[in-house]
Amino acid sequence: MTPDQIEAYVDATASALDLHLAPAHRVGVLRYFALAAQFAEVVHAVHLDATTEPSMAFVPVAPVRHTDGGGLS
Amino acid sequence: MSVANELLLGDAVAMAQAVRSGGCSATELVSASLHHIGRSDAQVNAFTAVLTTRALARAAQIDHQRDSMATLPLLGVPFAVKNLFDVAGLATLAGSKIEREAPPARADALLVQRLEAAGAVLVGALNMDEYAYGFTTENSHEGACHNPHDLTRIAGGSSGGSGAAVAAGQVPITLGSDTNGSIRVPASLCGVLGLKPTFGRLPRSGSYPFVSSLDHLGPLARSVRDLALSYDLMQGPEAWGPQRDPGCAQRAVEAVTPLLGRGATGLRIGVLGGHFQANAQPQALAALSQVARALDAHEQVELPLVEAGRAAAFLITNAEGGALHLDDLRRRAGDFEPLSRDRFLAGALLPAAWVARAQRVRHAYAQAAARLFERFDVLLAPATPTAATPIGCEWLDIGGQRHPLRPHMGVLTQPISCIGLPVVAVPVWAPGHHLPLGVQVIAAPWREDLALRVAAELETRGVIDARLAPQEPLFS
Repeated sequence: MTPDQIEAYVDATASALDLHLAPAHRVGVLRYFALAAQFAEVVHAVHLDATTEPSMAFVPVAPVRHTDGGGLS
Repeated sequence: MSVANELLLGDAVAMAQAVRSGGCSATELVSASLHHIGRSDAQVNAFTAVLTTRALARAAQIDHQRDSMATLPLLGVPFAVKNLFDVAGLATLAGSKIEREAPPARADALLVQRLEAAGAVLVGALNMDEYAYGFTTENSHEGACHNPHDLTRIAGGSSGGSGAAVAAGQVPITLGSDTNGSIRVPASLCGVLGLKPTFGRLPRSGSYPFVSSLDHLGPLARSVRDLALSYDLMQGPEAWGPQRDPGCAQRAVEAVTPLLGRGATGLRIGVLGGHFQANAQPQALAALSQVARALDAHEQVELPLVEAGRAAAFLITNAEGGALHLDDLRRRAGDFEPLSRDRFLAGALLPAAWVARAQRVRHAYAQAAARLFERFDVLLAPATPTAATPIGCEWLDIGGQRHPLRPHMGVLTQPISCIGLPVVAVPVWAPGHHLPLGVQVIAAPWREDLALRVAAELETRGVIDARLAPQEPLFS
């Protein structure tokens, strides 16, 4: 992303999220967003095929006590 | 010097033995710890809360019931925890100003409960970077934590108080958290041992989260046997229930203490090059060489996809951390730590596609690392790029390049925690240097035993040294 793209994206997204960026904070936010954008380029440069799974898996949460038909299982 | 004060110079196992044998009471030992904290913490600033009444009541109970409690392995041993662990009756600050308004915790964190069930006595809560987002513990709300080996320097972070309290001899064991290096960085800069277990090994219930995808909890100590024992006592699945940690693998206890004596003989040990050499100053490389030489480890290897792994960890951390605090960032950004506020704000804005990609890259990176562990049992790398820097320092120069110091202090630890590998940070004193530096002893997932065996071998042979900081400057 170019500096202009970053500025436009940060301002638009902050506005959409109702996240007011004080002028004193905005400079630092742009700097850190630019750093993140550099890291994003690195992860996007890695070849992945469609079957490469994300690293976190959802764990379903079962009830502590579960009624099954006529009794507790 | 009293028996209790002499014991404070040693480790937790020796303390528990003394309490068990009647050589020292739990009350004397805990009182000595509290007295030491009272005298030294104006200089170190490791503690944000000291639990005098609670600790003395618990110690008195142990003394009263000593015969029935005699088998407890940490009988009467004082310990302290990073202030993101719940402590009943205290607001869980996580280093922030905002959480001072939170209601007090109703119960202790699970790991605190487990250590107290083993006879240990909680004496306080410890300083940290706000919401664990930092590597220096220059906390603007509580004041900076000072390195006991040189009070003008940082203790590292985000578990800075946890490293400093152990190095200062205030307590023999502390608990910290490690998302990108927050146990290993302060262990390195304070010259103590730190264990970051495999991701999912220890349950995080009752601790304030930073990045659920990456958060680990673990102990810091001055001896390998203390590190291993405290870790063993905290292992094991949680009771079933909807509130238990979804990131915990709920594995049965796999005790490492009985294995420490096996040493490092026969283990295949490699030395990480590339990223880990290019981002380390000469003193860090000297510390690595000392350890590698002692272990007869000569083969240098590259960790595949390491730069991408670090990038993935950065993005996941930034996005999850920012999203977690979005409401407060909207309402009261001015109450955040100025040193990390802008990073949180930026993180709240990251595109979802970057984070989703990062989680997939992380998985590919973990698979590549697993292939490397088919050839090696243990890998070595420096823990920090440099020794402790002066408080307030902004920049770090490595190999002719200038980096912002605060995020860059984790450049060597971040790629390892990204894929959840177990690591012991071991303290090394390179010849001619007045500050310690850590080396990471890294094993494959669920093989904490191998990393701890290597640490024990290095300790036995005097290669590593978790010495106490000189005591006199702490009391001036």
